[in-house]
Amino acid sequence: MNAIYDVVIIGGGMSGMMAAAALAKNGRKVAVISKGDPVCCFSTGCIDLLADGDDPLKGIASLPDNHPYHLVGEDAIAHSLDLFQGIMSEGGMPYVGDVHANRRVLTSLGRCKSTCLVPETMEFSDFDSDEYIHVISFYKMKDFYPQYITSRYTNAGYSVFDPGVITTAGIAEKFENRPFLEAFISWVQGLDIPEGRIAMPAVLGRNLVGDVYHQISAGCGRKIFEIPTLPPSMPGLRLFGGLKKALLQKGVNLYWGKGIYSVEKLGNRIEAVTLASSGRATRVEGRAFILATGSFVSGGLQASMDTVTETVFDLPAYLPGARETWFNDDFFAAGHEIEKAGIRVDSSFRPVDTEIENLYVCGSILAFSEVMKYRCGHGMAIATGVAAANACGGLV
Amino acid sequence: MGFDFQHCIRCTVCVANCPVFKVDPAFPGPKQSGPDAERFRSDDEASIDRWVRLCSQCKRCDVACPYSVHPAQIILREQTRYGEGHFRPLPYRLFANTYWLGALGSLIAPVINILTPRTFVKRVLNVFGISTSIPFPQYRFHSMNRSWRWKGRRRSRKKVVFFYGCFINYNRPDIGRGVRDLLASLGVRVVIPRQVCCGLPALGNGDMETARKFARKNARILAGYIDKGYEVVYTCTSCGLSLTQDYPGILGVPDGKKISENTYNLHEYILELMEEGYIEPTFEPLHRKIAYHIPCHLRALGIGYPAARLFEKIPGLEVHILEDNCCGLAGSYGFKKKHGETSAKLGSDAARAIKAIGPDIMMSDCGACKMQLGYFSGIPALDPSEILRQSLKVTDSGT
Ligand SMILES: Cc1cc2nc3c(=O)[nH]c(=O)nc-3n(C[C@H](O)[C@H](O)[C@H](O)COP(=O)(O)OP(=O)(O)OC[C@H]3O[C@@H](n4cnc5c(N)ncnc54)[C@H](O)[C@@H]3O)c2cc1C
Ligand code: SF4
Ligand code: SF4
Repeated sequence: MNAIYDVVIIGGGMSGMMAAAALAKNGRKVAVISKGDPVCCFSTGCIDLLADGDDPLKGIASLPDNHPYHLVGEDAIAHSLDLFQGIMSEGGMPYVGDVHANRRVLTSLGRCKSTCLVPETMEFSDFDSDEYIHVISFYKMKDFYPQYITSRYTNAGYSVFDPGVITTAGIAEKFENRPFLEAFISWVQGLDIPEGRIAMPAVLGRNLVGDVYHQISAGCGRKIFEIPTLPPSMPGLRLFGGLKKALLQKGVNLYWGKGIYSVEKLGNRIEAVTLASSGRATRVEGRAFILATGSFVSGGLQASMDTVTETVFDLPAYLPGARETWFNDDFFAAGHEIEKAGIRVDSSFRPVDTEIENLYVCGSILAFSEVMKYRCGHGMAIATGVAAANACGGLV
Repeated sequence: MGFDFQHCIRCTVCVANCPVFKVDPAFPGPKQSGPDAERFRSDDEASIDRWVRLCSQCKRCDVACPYSVHPAQIILREQTRYGEGHFRPLPYRLFANTYWLGALGSLIAPVINILTPRTFVKRVLNVFGISTSIPFPQYRFHSMNRSWRWKGRRRSRKKVVFFYGCFINYNRPDIGRGVRDLLASLGVRVVIPRQVCCGLPALGNGDMETARKFARKNARILAGYIDKGYEVVYTCTSCGLSLTQDYPGILGVPDGKKISENTYNLHEYILELMEEGYIEPTFEPLHRKIAYHIPCHLRALGIGYPAARLFEKIPGLEVHILEDNCCGLAGSYGFKKKHGETSAKLGSDAARAIKAIGPDIMMSDCGACKMQLGYFSGIPALDPSEILRQSLKVTDSGT
């Protein structure tokens, strides 16, 4: 009767959640523990696999030998993204894209960003630069200026709608309300926008995005598309919400809002972790554990003046060199050395140089992942998350 | 706490999770009301942030924040500071004291239950700033205070003191008696001493003094039992949060830490009895489809969803967990007229999510959620312990 989980996952980011989804799909009893909401909430919601070059999957071959992608392999990477796309489609938030072709997404600065999988609502890759583009923005909405976009396109215009609220979350909430949506659609119809594309900041509902998107598209008689905004980013929140909902539906138990308080070991095995709950520490026991606590930004890794530590199990962390070598002089240059810091793992995603037998590691906490340099964030998290799940699936 | 606000990286995750911010443009949200404004506050200066009162203390921001800033805690502190320095309108004073309100309501239950639905009485309530957009709770004459005060063998190895809370006490004592009978049927000795409101409503209404008074009184009673080998069990997740988080925290109650460390959620306690092998209950099948609305304060406890884990063991039960919505009532928040609109919007959003499942029943651990969402969804709202009793065949013993 004991509440032993087959696998306990620490960290509810893209990698932890995808590991949970893969394990639950195979009938494993899984718990996910997370101190807070993950980085994907403030992302664009687009899945970067490897942003440079046309064919991201092929491009992986040219990454340094120690990059975690090599531990997964091309086929398994493609499979993990299939699994992800399947989950998001089931949840009514389909993603489009092809692992062999990067596609463009228009940003709020009017430039394009290269990525691999995009929410259906942002699809714009077949845009042809002669086409007319019409941006609809919202009165007093912060951090979204249509002029940035129209100034970069010769054939472009914009209109401004007053939704009565000025925040991204407030506007998104309004779009989930039918009379507002209908009023908006008839306003757009009254504008007489020339033939071409209609773009809007990504505020088409927080949850009901698919419905809202299709209704506006139908009302405008053409496909519209969303442009990702600064945080709070609705597409990032939808991505997180969609995955979390899928986990709940698959019977995964979530423990949210508190970090790890202590770790119980028996010999070379981790028996349980306890949470820093209000009051008594809640104990969660598992046969295997997956560490997916993210990099510095989420607190999985912590840097002091001269060293880097892993915050839950105190695993040995790889350090690229002395502090003087951690940063480039040019802040915006891709590839600060410190980005290589993290946990080194063997081919089955077990941390090297430790005695612990039932621990696996995935996501941006992995050494040599260099997420910012290669722009491979969510893609690497998904691929290594599913791979770590498969690796430990055999054990439990 | 203290300097947690310095850890804020302004990621806006809390803002995206704040139900009030979503629907009330007057509220600047947890980031601005919490860590941002905190930099300009000083104990030497009076509190002037009137809008901190718009926060319902659902604590969703605390759960979401990846950097342990705890915006809701920062706001709570400011709410009490603001309350100390300003006149508190009638509803704030009234609801700070839901305990006395409840005691009175229960005493004159037959009269008050007939009166409150009347239009005339509603108008009077509105004038005093009390919202009547959802029916006022019905008060029960046979409150917990008037029920049997113990059950189960005195020499039982497992002994608990049951903290039932105001909602059960005055409005649904049947749930409380059910919990008592359920625990007793599992071989647990249950005692139900006289107790007062946990203090959370007073705290949320900016009345630190009343909150402390209540908390001290309960602490004395509960700590006495803990010293005798009892553990504290609660079902109301807001009382639970208050006992485990506020007693040792902002209320600084003597023995707060002891209480916090010896207090269990009912379902968590039953799971632990099973895990220890103390009981091996047989769960009878229940063929029902349930929408389980997770109360915000269950999330804030950070103990996972123990009732959901128990329900996995009941054959035939189909449970759909809904954890993304706040019911909007937030204790007494939604009963204040000035929050009525916010509360109703949130309530109907949450009810829409429930209805989308097409459940036979909806369920929630929290009395306020059950009241609000039962009303907005029109679906019968049950407490998890009621379902458990059905599956474990624990019959109702009356008083
Ligand atoms: C601002 C920003 C924007 C980005 N935008 C994009 C984008 O548009 N597309 C893209 O592909 N990539 C993007 N990335 C990169 C990408 O978001 C990340 O690389 C990826 O999502 C990391 O996922 P993860 O699961 O490894 O970790 P995280 O998402 O960091 O998740 C780690 C989780 O672990 C939890 N945690 C940490 N410590 C503990 C503990 N002790 N106990 C319990 N839980 C703990 C954290 O709360 C967190 O929820 C962006 C990154 C940033 C910073
Ligand atoms: S309080 Fe936490 S969630 Fe809110 S902005 Fe600051 S760091 Fe982000
Ligand atoms: S406690 Fe709830 S209402 Fe208050 S700021 Fe936080 S999320 Fe918003």
